[in-house]
Amino acid sequence: MQPITITLDGNEVSGYAGMSILALAREAGVHIPTLCHDDHLPDIGACRLCIVEEEKSGALMAACVTPIASGMVINTRSPRVVTHRRTIVELMLASHPDACPVCDKGNRCKLRGIAAEMGLSLTQLQRVPQVATIQDVNPFIQRDLSKCVLCARCIRACQELVVEGVLDYFQRGFKSKPATFGDVPLESSDCTFCGTCVALCPTGALMERDAPYRGTTRNKVKTTCPHCGCGCSIELEIKDNRIIRSIPAETDGTGYRPLCVRGSYGYDFTHSPDRLTTPLIRRNGSLQQSDWEEALTLVADGLEKVISKHGAESVAVLGSAHCTNEEAYLLQRLARCTIGTSNVDSGSRLYSAATILGLATTIGLPQPANHVEAIEKSDVIMVVGADPTTSAPAVGYAIKRAVKGKGACLILIDPRRTRLAFFATLHLQPKPGTDIALLSALAHVIVKENLLDKEFVVRRTDNFEPLVRSVEHYTPEYAAGVTGVPAGQIVAAARFYARARQASLVHGSGITQYPTGTDCVRAIANLALLTGNALRKGGGITTLYRESNSYGVMAMGLSPHLLPGFRSATDTRARGDLETLWRVNLPDPPGLTAIEMLQGAISGKIRALYICGEDPISTFPDRQMVTEALASLEFLVVQDIFLTETAKLATVVLPGASPLEKDGTTINFEGKIRRFRRAVTPPGEGRPDWQILAEIAARMKRPLPFSHFDDIVAEMEDCVPGYQYYGGEGRDFDIQSTGTRQQPVEEAPRGFPRFSPVEYQVPAKLDDHEYPFLLLTGGVFPHHSNSIWSLKAPRLKKFLSQGYAELNPEDTHSLGLDNGDTVKITSAAGEVIAPVRSSADIPQGTVFIPCSFPDIAVNVLFRIRLDTQSKAPAFKSCRVKVQRVDSDG
Amino acid sequence: MAEQLLNTKPDLEKLTAIIADYAGQRWPLIPLVQKIQSEFGYIPQESVPLIAQYLKLFPSQVQGVISFYAQLYTKPRGKKVVRVCRGTACHVRGGKTILKLVKQNLGIEEGETTPDMEYTLETVACIGVCALAPNIVIGDRVFGHMNPKKVEYLLKRGGD
Ligand code: SF4
Ligand code: SF4
Ligand code: SF4
Ligand code: FES
Repeated sequence: MQPITITLDGNEVSGYAGMSILALAREAGVHIPTLCHDDHLPDIGACRLCIVEEEKSGALMAACVTPIASGMVINTRSPRVVTHRRTIVELMLASHPDACPVCDKGNRCKLRGIAAEMGLSLTQLQRVPQVATIQDVNPFIQRDLSKCVLCARCIRACQELVVEGVLDYFQRGFKSKPATFGDVPLESSDCTFCGTCVALCPTGALMERDAPYRGTTRNKVKTTCPHCGCGCSIELEIKDNRIIRSIPAETDGTGYRPLCVRGSYGYDFTHSPDRLTTPLIRRNGSLQQSDWEEALTLVADGLEKVISKHGAESVAVLGSAHCTNEEAYLLQRLARCTIGTSNVDSGSRLYSAATILGLATTIGLPQPANHVEAIEKSDVIMVVGADPTTSAPAVGYAIKRAVKGKGACLILIDPRRTRLAFFATLHLQPKPGTDIALLSALAHVIVKENLLDKEFVVRRTDNFEPLVRSVEHYTPEYAAGVTGVPAGQIVAAARFYARARQASLVHGSGITQYPTGTDCVRAIANLALLTGNALRKGGGITTLYRESNSYGVMAMGLSPHLLPGFRSATDTRARGDLETLWRVNLPDPPGLTAIEMLQGAISGKIRALYICGEDPISTFPDRQMVTEALASLEFLVVQDIFLTETAKLATVVLPGASPLEKDGTTINFEGKIRRFRRAVTPPGEGRPDWQILAEIAARMKRPLPFSHFDDIVAEMEDCVPGYQYYGGEGRDFDIQSTGTRQQPVEEAPRGFPRFSPVEYQVPAKLDDHEYPFLLLTGGVFPHHSNSIWSLKAPRLKKFLSQGYAELNPEDTHSLGLDNGDTVKITSAAGEVIAPVRSSADIPQGTVFIPCSFPDIAVNVLFRIRLDTQSKAPAFKSCRVKVQRVDSDG
Repeated sequence: MAEQLLNTKPDLEKLTAIIADYAGQRWPLIPLVQKIQSEFGYIPQESVPLIAQYLKLFPSQVQGVISFYAQLYTKPRGKKVVRVCRGTACHVRGGKTILKLVKQNLGIEEGETTPDMEYTLETVACIGVCALAPNIVIGDRVFGHMNPKKVEYLLKRGGD
């Protein structure tokens, strides 16, 4: 491309076509003041502060929106320009309240900075400050539009980055302002309190409410949001060992990503007064404070005692997706080497095992998903059993940007009407649990209408014929009968998906938490293979693992079936490699899975359990069974940052550190290795978790060779692909680029991706009469599934602190229920009491109870029914009845 | 019809039908809201989410556009619109008093509509017949040389 040369303040500089004068000036090191411009937003030229003069024509122009043209002679500092700029700022100040000294924006205010730069203070003009009228009462954001300079950064942030579209200009002239629809407070609008507008507002018009500290600080740490699997980069501001603000940060790994409410306002769980601060030891039946020396010795001795009495296989280790990779690695090392048991797993198996197994036996990779950027480039996006707007907001933003900004087609498959439905071209609402029939019907249409990518299927896949036979009877009409989705919609969805240039499939735990979860993942994989999208760049399958580090803990081998680096626990070569590296004889595989450990505790097979970061009583199905299991153990150690329901039963409780208090890494759902960097120190005597594990090992007969954090990383480099390049500080990593993608699978001898026929199992219809409703459970905004962390964040909790049971208005009507009435929900396994909410967003005949709240322990309603293949229990839906409870009892 | 508008919800079915007609068009928003206004006399607030859904816009965006144009109304309007001129010529010849009188007479403020849905009161910058100042417009008829008596008379007669 021809470079374009212009004269800028007397110097010749060159840029490329389409570049703005501002961009070129920045490149050339010429400072032009700006207010409405932001690198992450499209320019609109609203503030006019970036005004420059074209010498030849004498024209004044806004540098941010004027592209360079050959031969331009631009003056950025001529007297005329300077006078104009001063006038603009004076006018802004004239309609601005005199509040600088008490404004919380302080030094972060751009208007104040620019005024100071120009030497302007109190204005000479007649002052006409605006009056602030909005009364927002939410716990996150407060608006004072009297300080608004109408730069529209908030509007663009809301419409273009997070695509919530809550704000736009309202009215014209002097009355003009950014407003919600109906000019209502944010909490009455569609606002998700993502904080993007607040982070980008140049003045004090939009501010964080209830901020822990109002001043400014220089102490900043770039780290990763710990709440969900998106792993967004955040920058934390710190004052006196307290985090006072969290804003989106830019890192090499993920670029600039707007955060969600948890990333912006959920960091303060780490400062919760409920944090554990000392080790606790059970004495005479109750947990009492202790010190580290005593507690660590007790744990080491207690484990050794059980090992010598009942054998190492009577001990089990259960980690969680809250663990960093280093901790997960250390935990499985502790289990396999120090204790000598194969019984090692993580609670995230409940949600991720079906995916890992389903994908490993089809596409053939323990596959990390597409990058968010790739999803955004897809022309068709199919979302199955996931509500990314709540569970993985960064993905939600990308999908909405693709739809609104690039005209992508969104096919949503979800029984509930989620926020994404507004953006969907097609919203298919199958009856819960019938996804396999629906997905197979899509495959049927693709095969019948010959929409498949023949070359790909013939040359790069195996087992095509059996698939064709298996989908033969899934006609759209048959599927319509099973799923309740009109046949026409099924055909339309299949055509959209198959005809796409590049189609992304996004799925979440909405399908993997059924007993048939693994098959459902296979059905998805079949679609991606038929159309060639599976291995197409920018196409493919994106798994939204439900918990933050689900992918990472699997990669570290925190699983009875997997060794570090996703190598099978039964793979003799892998075992040999690791035995050499670790200098031990590995215990025989396979060990017990999380649920089997608990069942083992009841049967007496398991005597001691070491739990790190998991709270099975609150988060596993079948609460009664879990409680019984934990109570029957001889020795239970719980390492956590809160005194969870599980910790309350422990023999010893060890206080760890939150991810904001330690170094380490996590792998987000894209397969990117993300870093945690210590921002503050743990409260009381809390310690980084790797340290606790290393010290326990050091006190046992077979210690581990780790005395520094770097020792662990060094060893991980030898056995986890991706980590060998992980080295220096400041680098973010991408496991995808380093080879875990596309590993051949055992079941595909030629290393080809393989179709995997699946069948829809007609459920036994026994319970319908007694239990007429279908219960659904899942996460709810602003919390993150059943993670205790978001509930311990004061502002998130303030926004929504209580559970409820949601029913369709038709059902509440026929049951004679009003909003707020109390009902009893009973399943074959147990019952819960909850207040009722009616909502047209859920289909008739279903009840939705969020899994986020301890006051309504929805897990008592589930009996453990394992997915026969992945051994993950069904924990998404079951049959229930709903009865009114009268207030007098 | 007008009274019904004020007291009852707008006919959502009719609204939806109008909106659906425009859904496939390019740049449909302005013509669509004009069409709604010509059918309903104003643009009911309830129509905004519907328009947004059909045109794949956000309600806030639709509202932004509607509120930007003075010619688009978000409240029901009377059968007749009374516009009092506030141009310079009218001003020097007592336009301000005329406005006050009209307000008193109708019992409403600028931008409001009488409860019986007869009159909506507005002001205009100039209507171009300054020679006749002070002027008012009722419906599409211009009345010049206004004075207090004439105001009372005209409004009583319903502006004929
Ligand atoms: S509220 Fe802030 S970001 Fe929004 S227009 Fe006003 S000054 Fe700009
Ligand atoms: S917080 Fe997020 S959703 Fe709410 S108005 Fe701001 S940008 Fe929009
Ligand atoms: S999307 Fe997930 S990682 Fe990103 S800010 Fe929100 S909770 Fe944190
Ligand atoms: S920065 Fe260019 S107009 Fe505001």
